Amino acid sequence: MKYSKIPPFVWYTALNDHRKEAIVDADVRQMTWTELAAVCTNLEKACTKQLRGEEAATFAKLASFYEERRAATGDAALQQLLALIDADLTGAYRAANEVAAADEDRGSKRALLWGEKATKLLKSLLARYEKQGAKLTENTGVFVCEICGFVYVGDAAPEVCPICKVPSFKIHPVRKEAI
Amino acid sequence: MHAARNLRLCTKDCVCLFICPTGATNTETGQIDFDKCLDGCRLCVDACPSGAIYLISSTYPNPQAKSDAMTEILFALAGSKALQEDLARSIALESDDPALRRICKVIEMSNRIIAEDLWRESGYIIAQSDATSRLLEAMLAEHGAEEGFPVEAVQALLNDRR
Repeated sequence: MKYSKIPPFVWYTALNDHRKEAIVDADVRQMTWTELAAVCTNLEKACTKQLRGEEAATFAKLASFYEERRAATGDAALQQLLALIDADLTGAYRAANEVAAADEDRGSKRALLWGEKATKLLKSLLARYEKQGAKLTENTGVFVCEICGFVYVGDAAPEVCPICKVPSFKIHPVRKEAI
Repeated sequence: MHAARNLRLCTKDCVCLFICPTGATNTETGQIDFDKCLDGCRLCVDACPSGAIYLISSTYPNPQAKSDAMTEILFALAGSKALQEDLARSIALESDDPALRRICKVIEMSNRIIAEDLWRESGYIIAQSDATSRLLEAMLAEHGAEEGFPVEAVQALLNDRR
């Protein structure tokens, strides 16, 4: 192998409990309901871009089928989220970038670059929320880029996404709940 | 291969209407009539002054192969993002605080989008890939008998690929 040995993903052992009810893929890979749903919403988007409406609708139905099977994770806390984000940022992205570099896999490099930047912003969002609480978003907008997951707190979305460079019409506001 | 119109770019100069030999470019929805469009003709694509018409392929190649190590680590990262999406969703469901629910909604959405991109790099970029076909077969075998599973639509998708 060209690359150094990948460190064991100790921090992902929690995932195994999570995969109890998952199906076995033909590649003998277990996937959770949410993982299956994400593959399906991605394929729904791909079909939409190919202007294949019927096929897009099939993947949307599959995504809903798997999303409806999800149960809430008991005693979920922001600390757990932060721990996973830190594990990604300190371990997984570094290891993944090393493999992508050794493979000269520019597609993976791109996805990892965008994902790592978006993940850093999620970490900073959580840190700001822990300091400021409800004040953080009280009188301002919150936006998410539909292409790369970039998040932004402010009055208006940037004209171009700073991570993936898509124009602002693909950066969507996440509205406050109607009261 | 058929033409399609990007309505955000179209400046309604109608040159495509002048040049189309079948009338496919003139419709009430603004989109081209794919059934009337002549395979690979591209007269409208070259005539459009705004670059608003493009060609959609009817066949797609398999995505670029990745090393096992790369796929493995992309799957691991996608799994972490799915778990983060689940956590954010659960926190929002259990919270009475609208500000926290909004933050968690954003985190849930962002993680889904990051995960989708990782799946895209792992062979599931298009419905026409071999990896997608294998996954659909497995879904059908495992969940096809359950209520709400779109059996016929999934079978139709797989039949198109065979």
